[in-house]
Amino acid sequence: MMLRHVWIIALKEWREIVRDPIYLALAFLIPAAMMFVLGNGLMLEVRHMPYGVWDMDNSAQSRDLTERFRHSRYFHHAGALHGYRQVEKALRRGDIRFALIIPPDFSERLARGRTATIQTLIDGQFTYHARVAKGYVSAIVAYYNLEQALRWAAVKEGRSPQALERLMMPVRLEVRYLYNQALRSEWSMAPGLVMLIMLVSPTLLTALGVVREKERGSIFNIQASTVSRAAFLLGKLLPYVLISLLNLVVLTLLALGYFGAPFKGSVVAYALASFIYIFAAGAIGLLVSVLVRSQAAAALITLLGTMIPGFMFSGLMMPISSMSPEAQVEAHVFPAMHFLEVVWGVYLKGYGLAELIRPVGLLVLYALVLMGLAWFTFHKRVKR
Amino acid sequence: MIRLEGVHKRYGRTVALEDVSLEVPRGQLFGLIGPDGAGKSTLMHIVAGVLAQDAGTVVVNGVHVDSERSAERIKSSLGLMPQGLGLNLYPTLSVEENLDFFAGLRNVPKAVARQRKTQLLQMTGLTPFRDRAMQHLSGGMQQKLGLICALIHEPELVILDEPTTGVDPLSRRSFWRLLAQLVEERGMTALVSTAYMDEAALFDQVALMQRGRVLSVGAPQALTDRLPFEQAIIRVRNPESWQTALAEHWPDWTRWFEGHHLHLQVPKAQRAAFEAWIKSDAPSMEGIWWQPADLEGLFLQAQQVHKETVIDLPPPRAERAIVAENLTRRFGRFTAVDEVSLDVHAGEIVGLLGANGAGKSTLMRMLTGLLPPTSGTAEVAGVSIRGNSLAVRRRIGYMAQRFSLYEELTVRENLRLFGRIYGLWGGRLRERLDWALNWSGLDSVADSRAGALPLGQRQRLALSAALLHGPSILFLDEPTSGVDPAGRRHFWSLLRQLCHDEGVAMLVSTHAMNEAENCHRVVMMRQGHKIADAPPDVLKQQLRERRGELATLQVDRPWQAERVLLDAGLDAFVQGRQVALFVHGEAEVSGRVLPLLRQEGLEVRGWQLMPPTMEAVFVSLIEGVA
Repeated sequence: MMLRHVWIIALKEWREIVRDPIYLALAFLIPAAMMFVLGNGLMLEVRHMPYGVWDMDNSAQSRDLTERFRHSRYFHHAGALHGYRQVEKALRRGDIRFALIIPPDFSERLARGRTATIQTLIDGQFTYHARVAKGYVSAIVAYYNLEQALRWAAVKEGRSPQALERLMMPVRLEVRYLYNQALRSEWSMAPGLVMLIMLVSPTLLTALGVVREKERGSIFNIQASTVSRAAFLLGKLLPYVLISLLNLVVLTLLALGYFGAPFKGSVVAYALASFIYIFAAGAIGLLVSVLVRSQAAAALITLLGTMIPGFMFSGLMMPISSMSPEAQVEAHVFPAMHFLEVVWGVYLKGYGLAELIRPVGLLVLYALVLMGLAWFTFHKRVKR
Repeated sequence: MIRLEGVHKRYGRTVALEDVSLEVPRGQLFGLIGPDGAGKSTLMHIVAGVLAQDAGTVVVNGVHVDSERSAERIKSSLGLMPQGLGLNLYPTLSVEENLDFFAGLRNVPKAVARQRKTQLLQMTGLTPFRDRAMQHLSGGMQQKLGLICALIHEPELVILDEPTTGVDPLSRRSFWRLLAQLVEERGMTALVSTAYMDEAALFDQVALMQRGRVLSVGAPQALTDRLPFEQAIIRVRNPESWQTALAEHWPDWTRWFEGHHLHLQVPKAQRAAFEAWIKSDAPSMEGIWWQPADLEGLFLQAQQVHKETVIDLPPPRAERAIVAENLTRRFGRFTAVDEVSLDVHAGEIVGLLGANGAGKSTLMRMLTGLLPPTSGTAEVAGVSIRGNSLAVRRRIGYMAQRFSLYEELTVRENLRLFGRIYGLWGGRLRERLDWALNWSGLDSVADSRAGALPLGQRQRLALSAALLHGPSILFLDEPTSGVDPAGRRHFWSLLRQLCHDEGVAMLVSTHAMNEAENCHRVVMMRQGHKIADAPPDVLKQQLRERRGELATLQVDRPWQAERVLLDAGLDAFVQGRQVALFVHGEAEVSGRVLPLLRQEGLEVRGWQLMPPTMEAVFVSLIEGVA
C-alpha cells in the first residue's frame, strides 16, 4: 500500500511539473543556465590583466623591459600612456589595472652602473588581483635584474652566460602541477559548480513542491487520508531526484564538453555519490518546506541556505584549512564539502569508490538524518 | 457519528473555539453557520483529524481522536473538502487524473474506482470533460469535481468547508441536489458550512456559531419556529416615507431593503396590530407577503444587527459614466467577452450577473483599463480605455475578486499606503483617511493587523482603499463572495450610501441574487454574451408574463418534491426549504400540484403565490437560453 501511495504521489507531482511551464523551466533551464553563467563568470585566475606603460626614456633598454610584460599571458597591453594625467585617467576609468612608469634617465643610469627606479601604480580595489599583479610584476623585474647581472659578469669574467648561470644559481626549481597540469581553473570550477548546482536545484524544487500544496490547501488531501508521512515525503521527493539526475547528466556533459574538464575516475562512484547527494539536498528542501508556509519564504531560505554554504564553506572558493576554526566546523557539518571531495576526486584525481568511502559514507549519513528530520517534523495533525 | 465535548482551541492569543459541544448523528446533513471567524473551519479541521484541539473530547466514528496516531484511524472513513473553490485539486491535471489520484490515495481498488468514476462523472455531468485540465473548468464544475474527489472512496463522513462560495446559483443548486442524493443513497453523514442561509435551510440540523461558541443547534424548522417573529415583505413605492413611519411606530424591528422590497421582522404578538396599522395609517404600498422567519433572520438576530438606516436610491443622472460598445476579448481561440455593449449612468448601481466563466471579470478588467480589448471601444468617465489608462484609473476605484491588502500592515497603514499610491498627501490624506475609517466603521480596529480581521471587515477595508481618492466610478468584482449575511448587508448599505451621498456610479458583479435587488439595473451575461439588461422589477415582470407566478410550497422533503414535479413535466426547483414552481393562477396549485404531491405521500404544509425572485429570473434566463 505504501509503495502504491509513493508511486501515485510521485506520478501526480511529475505531471504537475512537466505541465507547468514555469516549473519546467525552473527544473531544467535554471541549472544549465547557472552552469553557463557561473562557469564563465567566475574565473578566479588572473589572466589578460590590462595595463599601460608610460615610457619616458623610450630607449632600447626600456623597451627590452616593457617587452617582457607584453609577452606575458597574464597581462594585456592596453596602450602607451603619456603623462600623469593620462595614467590617472586610465586607472580611474578602469581601462587598466596597473601602470608601469619608466623615468627618462632609466637607460642612462643603468649605463653608468647606477640603480634605476621604475614605478608601478596598481589598482588596489580588488585586493586579490592587486596582489597577484604585484607578484607578477616583481617576478618579471627580478628576472630582468638577474639577466643584467649575468650579462655584466659574463663580460667581466669572460665566461659564457650559461656557465655563469650554473655557478650563480646552483638550485633550480622544477614545478609540475598534478591533477590539473595546465592549472586551468575551469577544470576545477566546472566540477565544483556541479556540486553547487546539485545542491541548490533539488533543494529549491523540493521545497517549492511541498509548500505549493500548503499554500493552496491541497495538503489537506494528504493530511485527511491514510497516506503515511513517509510515503508522502518519498513520493514528493522522487520526481525531483529524477529531474536532478537528468540535470546531473546535462551538467556533467557541460563540464566535460564545454568547459573541457577531464574525467579520470570511476563513473560508478560518481553516479552513486551524486545520487545520494541529490537525496540529501532534496531532504534539506523537505525540511525547509515543513517549516515555512509560503513559496516566497521557501525560495529565499533555500537559495540563501544552499548558495552561501555551497560557495563559501565547501572549499570551492577557499581551502577549508585556511578558514577560521568556526568556519571549518561549519564546513564539516554541511554535505557540500564532502561532495566536493568526491567530484574533484573523480574528475581530477582519478578516484574510485575505494578512495571515496569516507565522503560517500558521510553523504549517506546526511541523507538519512535529513530525511529522518523531515519525517519527524512533518505532521498530518498539526498544532496550528 | 461525531461527538464533541468541551473542545477548546486557540491560536496564540486568539480564541478559535471555546467549550464547543456538539453531536452529529449518523446519516445527517449537518450544517455549520455563523459569521466569518466564528470557528467553523477550525471545528471542521479538528473533526477531520488534521488539527489538534487544545482540550476537550473529540469522538469521530467511535474513535477518540486525541493524537496523530488515533487520528489516523478515522481517516479511511472520511472525506474532506477544504475551503476555497478548487483549491484542493491539481490545476494541470485532467478531471480523470484528479479522480485517479484521489482513488489511489484512498486505496480504492482499480476496478471499483473505474466503476465509481463513471458513475460520479455521469451524476455531475462531467463525463464530456474527463480529459480537460481542471484549471480550464468553470467554477461550478471545479466545485463538483472537488466534491466527487472527496467522495471517491465512499466515506462514511464527508466534511465540506463552504463548498458553494463563489459559485453561481445554478451550479449551487445542482451541487446541493447531488449532495442530497449521495447522502440519502449511501447513508453518508455530511458536515457542511455555508455563508448562504437559504442553503442552510436544507440541512437536517444546523449549528449556529459565533466567536468560537455554538449558540444554538437544531433542525432549521425548529430553530426558526422558535424565533419570536415573522417576516413581512412589503413592496413599497417610497422607501423614505416608510422609513420615517417605521421609525415612529415600530422603531425596534429589524428591517432592510432589497430594492423596493422592505423586509421586516414582525414580532408574532404584534402581527395583528401591524396589519391593522397597514390598513389605516401606513404609507402606500403595492403588496405584502408573509413568510415564516428563516435562518437569515436567526443569523441576523444572533448578530444583533438592528434597524439599518434605509437609504432610498435616487434615480440615476442623465450623464453616462461608462459607455461600452461592442467590447470583445479573445484569449487564443476562446472568446471570453463577445460584442458586449453597456451603459452605466452617473449615480447608478448596475449589477453584473452570470454563471462562473460567463465573462464578468474579463469585462470589468477591460473597463478598468487593466486588460486591452480585442475589439470594440469604451469610454469611462469620458476617457477612452484604449491607451490612456492612467487617466482612467485616476477617475475609478476597482475592487478585484481577490482583493489585495497588505496583511502585515494595520488597517490605518493599509489605507495610508493606498492613499499615497493614489497621490494623496498631508492634510488631504489625513482627511480622507479619517473619512474612510469613520464611514466604513473600521475606526475601532484601525490599529489591528489587516490579516487578523474577519473577511467582512477586510472587504470593507478593501472598499475603503478603492475609494480614498474619491473616484466617481466604482468597479466591484464579486465583493461579497464568502461574506456572511450581516457583513453583506453592512457592505451594501455602504454602497447605497455612496450612491446616495456622492452619486458614484457602480458596476458590481455578484452571485448573491438578493443583492441584485439593490441595483438600479441588472446586466446578465452568459458565455460572453449579454442576454439581459433591465431593472430588476422589469426582469421579474417579464418573467411573470412569460412563465406565470411563483408558487412556493412548504414541504418536508423538498428534493423529493422537486423530483416528483419535474417528472410530471412541471418546472420546479428547490428554494430554501421550499419547493417553488411557476403556475398560472391559484387553481393550478390546488387542482394539479397538490394532488400530485399528495399521491406520492408528500404533505404540503402551506403554500402561497409570491412575486418571482431575482434567483428565479436568473435561473430561467440562464437555463432558458441554453
